[in-house]
Amino acid sequence: MTKRKSDISRREFLETTGAVFAVATANPVLRADASFATPTLADDVETGVPSTSIRIVVNGTEHKLQVEDRWTLAEVLRDHIGLTGTKIGCDRGECGACTVLLDGKPVYSCSNLAVWADGREIQTVEGLMHGDELDPLQQAFVEHDGPQCGFCTSGQLMSAKGLLSHNPHPTAHEVRAAMTGNICRCSNYNHYVEAVMAASNGKIAAAKIKSSDDSEKISAMKARKKTTASSTDAGGAR
Amino acid sequence: MSRPPTLNSLKTVGHKTPRIDAVERSTGKATYTGDVHLPGMLYARVLRSTQAHAQIRKIDVSKAQALPGVKFILTHENCSTVWGSGSISGGRQYVDEVKKITKQKRYVFNNPVRFYGEPVAAVVATNRHLAEEAMRLITVEYDPLPFVLDQEEALKPEAVKIWPDGNISLTAKNEAKPEVYKRGDIEEGFRTSDHVFEDRYTTTYVHNAQMEPRVSVASWDGDKLTIYTPTQGISNCRHDMARDLGLPDEKVRVVCKYMGGGFGNKNQNQDADLIAALLAKETGAPVKLELTRKEDFIGVHGRWPTTQYYKVGVSKDGVLQSLQLRGYSGMGPYRKNTGAIGGVELYQCPNVESTVYPVITNRAVSGNYRAPEFPQGFFGIQSMMDDVAYKMKMDPVDFVLKNMTRKSNDVEPYSSYTLEECIRRGAEAFEWKKRWHAPGADSGPIKRGAGMAFMALRSPLGQSSAVVRLDSNGRYTVFVGVTDIGAGAKTTMSMIAAEALDVPMSKVDLVWGDTDRCPFSVGESGSRTTDMAGYAVIEAARDIKQQLAAKGMPQGENALIASASPNPSSEGKVRKAFGAHFVEVEVDTELGRVHVLKYVAVHDSGRIINPLTAESQIKGATTQGIGMALHEDLIYDRGSGQPINAGYYGARIMTHMDAPNIEVIFVESDDGYGPFGAKCIGEAGIVHAVAAIGNSVFNAIGHRIKDLPITRDKIVEVMA
Repeated sequence: MTKRKSDISRREFLETTGAVFAVATANPVLRADASFATPTLADDVETGVPSTSIRIVVNGTEHKLQVEDRWTLAEVLRDHIGLTGTKIGCDRGECGACTVLLDGKPVYSCSNLAVWADGREIQTVEGLMHGDELDPLQQAFVEHDGPQCGFCTSGQLMSAKGLLSHNPHPTAHEVRAAMTGNICRCSNYNHYVEAVMAASNGKIAAAKIKSSDDSEKISAMKARKKTTASSTDAGGAR
Repeated sequence: MSRPPTLNSLKTVGHKTPRIDAVERSTGKATYTGDVHLPGMLYARVLRSTQAHAQIRKIDVSKAQALPGVKFILTHENCSTVWGSGSISGGRQYVDEVKKITKQKRYVFNNPVRFYGEPVAAVVATNRHLAEEAMRLITVEYDPLPFVLDQEEALKPEAVKIWPDGNISLTAKNEAKPEVYKRGDIEEGFRTSDHVFEDRYTTTYVHNAQMEPRVSVASWDGDKLTIYTPTQGISNCRHDMARDLGLPDEKVRVVCKYMGGGFGNKNQNQDADLIAALLAKETGAPVKLELTRKEDFIGVHGRWPTTQYYKVGVSKDGVLQSLQLRGYSGMGPYRKNTGAIGGVELYQCPNVESTVYPVITNRAVSGNYRAPEFPQGFFGIQSMMDDVAYKMKMDPVDFVLKNMTRKSNDVEPYSSYTLEECIRRGAEAFEWKKRWHAPGADSGPIKRGAGMAFMALRSPLGQSSAVVRLDSNGRYTVFVGVTDIGAGAKTTMSMIAAEALDVPMSKVDLVWGDTDRCPFSVGESGSRTTDMAGYAVIEAARDIKQQLAAKGMPQGENALIASASPNPSSEGKVRKAFGAHFVEVEVDTELGRVHVLKYVAVHDSGRIINPLTAESQIKGATTQGIGMALHEDLIYDRGSGQPINAGYYGARIMTHMDAPNIEVIFVESDDGYGPFGAKCIGEAGIVHAVAAIGNSVFNAIGHRIKDLPITRDKIVEVMA
């Protein structure tokens, strides 16, 4: 019996056991100092576990993937496409650290199965930059000291981006309401709201990346990032 | 921000400076432990106890073990590693000597299990779904034992003994006794008082709830272990891992590039680090162990709940004569910190006695959470004193000014003292005289009220190390073992280095977060990094400047290198940071809703190194305090001993919609110690925020809610 992709529930897969398992193959070795590189895993679907072929566009780049039906979108972005900027804080739809834009609309990627995203466009934090320039929102986050520990920051950015795409000049209350699904335990809420307000008022210009302690990573990101479609173009307000 | 004229202005320090890693944190490129992926890496999961207290009769792992792809399973039957110094005698879990003698050992896997959520087994498999599946195939047979959740009940004769020696957590010398502090004679003090008041306050278990759940990646290269882990102290973590695994320190490397908060529950090493290391050893492959949010909530630790009994004697003009605290702190079954209750030190009083029992219970473990013993103690004692002021018909600010500390324990001088100025500045900015009124005076169901609380918080000096290298290209590389939990330590260290070297920050590179590359650092706990590691950076910079003057710029491949391991002292004076919070709330007495209208936070944390990030620290800590006052609580089902609301929604963590604007005022001072006179700041915002909220709610509704959190149901009940 074939199920439609939209019929697949995450819970079902948390409860289902695959009968046969294969050992995941080790991936091309990138054993630099800390081996922080995340590999692109193309062939690690477990034998015997239901899987589906999907096509998603992430930050303007098309990906055709065979995904286990139980994989969440967050999992696929992080572990299988290598975009680890999206964080998993609770994996149960409470904290918002995993927020991405799905066809322009902020969603919790931990609470969406990857198969549900088939045929759709996704924007992650890695897709916010314009060439080597920070998005004004990112620049505002830097200047207003938005991130403390930074673990919620990607999600805060994507919720803010989703808001500004359909409401370019929100009130502070609208900002809080739009971002209230993004918990910041450092509780830097005042600064996040200030940053979004500053970006929406055009007080922050896109800025070239300044000195950083990981400039090679930024270069790598620029290299990977080719034809990023901005979320507003791709999805717009829905 | 205005600066007192006595404080000279500096070139880099004292100027608002964006974090040096703000771009990485705002582009998704900062690599946290969960982002580490090693070739051939396996995934681990922990199976946890479903009983609050039980003997494990049998664990059957055969079905799980038979699943293809499952590599190894650890239980108490095949793992006897002891975590930390045991049950943590005297809260000194990281002291090697205690581990040798303790009668309350905490194994990585314990039998009996003593709290719901205690690790029972760990599974490692080729992927996380398989590890989860295998976990569900493990059957555990328990013989349930009676359990006790409340710290006072646990000391009653009929309570189950969780450890053979009873339910008072043993000290470092294996003695079952409370922590006692005394000065003067309280009985004499009460006899000579004109009024004596007694009351009881309670606070609940609140969880650190940092955004990044505990995760650990372990990898062995021969006999050397590398562990990637979000730790607040790489040096301490390394030593603890080495001790617990029986390795020399140099055989352990700890790496923490970025971490997603901790607020105390990522201090030193954790059982997750040990489990990952043991599984990696067994399988010969790198292992990543991830904790779920629920596991993090119940399996790591939070703030200890307390029961506090106060007896206060005052003269007829409202001067404290005698002060007694009898307190009980619920430490869970394994004590991870002292269980102290801070607060009596805030007052000038000739006769003081504080007796605090650290009590073993079957709740989740209690340990460090941002200013471990203070927010709960400050809430109790400053609610009590606010009530005394009310009963004495005094303005609470006048009462505080009359009775607050002026010398440490009324004896030792402070290195600088600005408490009075903090209160005066706060009252002025807040317009206290205008906003404060007789409690419950507003008519109608919506009532406003104003409250205040103050603090003095330890800000000691201590040992840390730093290395500075100058290369022929004119760049300085600073090696310092900070991990940047989110407080901005990397930026602070860079600013201090630039200032001390008299060069722009762009000339300074920082190496951090790796024990193979950085010298000892105190770790990011106890608000100590700026004071201790920062001071070491200054000393190393001073050395290299002298070398530069003597030898000239290094040429070609040459370099100048300087190191420093200072252990400064404040010469008999007590260093403390000071502060005062003023808050106005609006209480809907029909719905029980509390809305913060105005919040003024005045702080003296010495010289402020980076006003931008310092403000974030105060605002964030204060907001956490508001959450603790109004919402947060890990609630247990008394029938089953299970926590029922672990998680962000359940425990009601503050959100964007809950967080008020907080106005921060820094009263800066330079006492001549620490880096350019800096004092502690990370914990300073939370310690008195809880009391300030409680006092403002009292002022609004005229009823005092003595049991945290001050939830809607409690407000509705007292107003009915």
